[in-house]
Amino acid sequence: MVLEATMICIDNSEWMRNGDYAPSRFQAQADAVNLICGAKTQSNPENTVGILTMAGKGVRVLVTPTSDLGKILACMHGLEIGGEMNLASGIQVAQLALKHRQNKKQQQRIIVFCGSPIKHEKKLIEMIGRKLKKNSVALDIINFGEQDDGKIEKLEALLAAVNNNDTSHIVHVPTGSSALSDVLINTPIFTGDGEGGSGFAAAAAAAAAGGLSGFDFGVDPNLDPELALALRVSMEEERARQEAAAKKATEEAAKQEKGEGQPSGTQDAMMTERANVATSEVDNKDDENALLQQALAMSMDDPDSGHETRDTDMSDAAADDPELALALQLSVQDGTKDSSSQSDLSKLLADQSFVSSILASLPGVDPNDPSVKNLLDSIQSQTESQQKNEEKEPKEDEK
Amino acid sequence: MACLHDHSCEDHDCSADWSLYKHIDISKVTALNEAVPGSVKSVFKAWEQRLSSSEEHLESNEGDPELLVFIPFTSDVKIKSISIVGGAGGTSPSKMRAFINRDGIDFSDAQSMQAIQEWDLAENLQGVLEYQTRYSKFQSVASITLHFPENFGGDTTQIQYIGLKGEATQLRRDVVATIVYELMPNPSDHKAQAEGGGGLSHVE
Repeated sequence: MVLEATMICIDNSEWMRNGDYAPSRFQAQADAVNLICGAKTQSNPENTVGILTMAGKGVRVLVTPTSDLGKILACMHGLEIGGEMNLASGIQVAQLALKHRQNKKQQQRIIVFCGSPIKHEKKLIEMIGRKLKKNSVALDIINFGEQDDGKIEKLEALLAAVNNNDTSHIVHVPTGSSALSDVLINTPIFTGDGEGGSGFAAAAAAAAAGGLSGFDFGVDPNLDPELALALRVSMEEERARQEAAAKKATEEAAKQEKGEGQPSGTQDAMMTERANVATSEVDNKDDENALLQQALAMSMDDPDSGHETRDTDMSDAAADDPELALALQLSVQDGTKDSSSQSDLSKLLADQSFVSSILASLPGVDPNDPSVKNLLDSIQSQTESQQKNEEKEPKEDEK
Repeated sequence: MACLHDHSCEDHDCSADWSLYKHIDISKVTALNEAVPGSVKSVFKAWEQRLSSSEEHLESNEGDPELLVFIPFTSDVKIKSISIVGGAGGTSPSKMRAFINRDGIDFSDAQSMQAIQEWDLAENLQGVLEYQTRYSKFQSVASITLHFPENFGGDTTQIQYIGLKGEATQLRRDVVATIVYELMPNPSDHKAQAEGGGGLSHVE
């Protein structure tokens, strides 16, 4: 609830046409500016915000610091992209605009969006930073867009020169799927120096992020505490059940001495592991429940049953983990009792390193466990005997 | 403890003279270019404690000896003289400029504006020197801003004590608090000539 006058410096240079931040860099910036203005005016009704553009024909102040949100939003329309950003002039003009604020009791803050290369020397930038610090103006830097050599270095130097008791911040926003505004919401620029997050920021986070960031189950605990509690409790129960099932699967794998028992046991453990991974993601609860049921059923029943379900559900997860994909593929072929795949399978099993790597990735299995070692030895002998059997089978078929 | 008065200090209690610090609105004191935010409040203390260096003092940022101190008072005061105790090793301020009754001054304003009075300071580590003001200009002071542009060659400027001598009036310079706006005159409020002539004034 700090009483603050803020000047936001917008980069409307040619570099802002780029579309690497959806829908375009400039639009992402405009959204972020709207959010910032809202947050500032909400945290303290006497806060004022002003806007200026740094590129175009020259640095131009669009709105002097005002608490009228409508005026600020209106001036964001009809902004043109063009020219080159002039960071030094922009910051100096912002400082001048803040100096002539109406309420001298307000703290001064400048927020700079820096999306294009900086053409000034580092020394000049540092001098500007020192001048801001001397006049006790705080500075927030949002670094996005073009990254050329020295840009980050210059911005970090600027932050070091300005920073007085951690009132200034810098945020680097890489290109990616999340919008500029979403990344900013979690930064101190919005939460205001660790005050614990304004209500606006929390609400915006819930709405914009759609339950992915911050809230575990897509439900705001503030809005619906009972539902959040119920979801959390059921999630914990499922997790406990899965752990028990995984333990059982690994025990079965250790007990069974058949070669096929090993890969399918592995597969089961990996499937439960994958089910664990799936549940830790925040997806629809219904799908998770179905998958969990299948995983549990498969670990308890005979591994050969329920092939079709395996095929349909596991294909998604298989893409993520190549080893898992291989194991799944093997198990599917295993189920059909194809002789050629059998030999493949046995070859793979014979490959000691492959098996030990699978074992190492299992959650509850220790490769140095004597029972596991015994099992591996038995697999070796098993594959040899299997090969002999295969040679016999084709002969019998031919007959 | 030597005073500039030619009497011995047992008769006259010097500390009573330097009691204007009690009328300073400490919560609203600010300084620009201070290394530790808020340290400026520690330089306003009683005369006896002016040399105690155990508490914090006001120090400017590294490599920049300028300091600007804004001092608001709780009521209008008259300032007779000012005493400054600086730091050792060239960190004492060498010049002082004062501005009266203006708030929100920053360094560029201070450098361009005409000060109401300027002094050349000497290193005053014992706190015995005081600098007289042109008293007629310092008659009703609600806030004073002190600008220290230079020091004696040190890397930073340190100030341990700022003392103000003078009188406090009980007047306040606040904005008028209670105003009643009248859209239309209310005759009952205006009793002066209502009895005679029904509103007509007579010229006798």
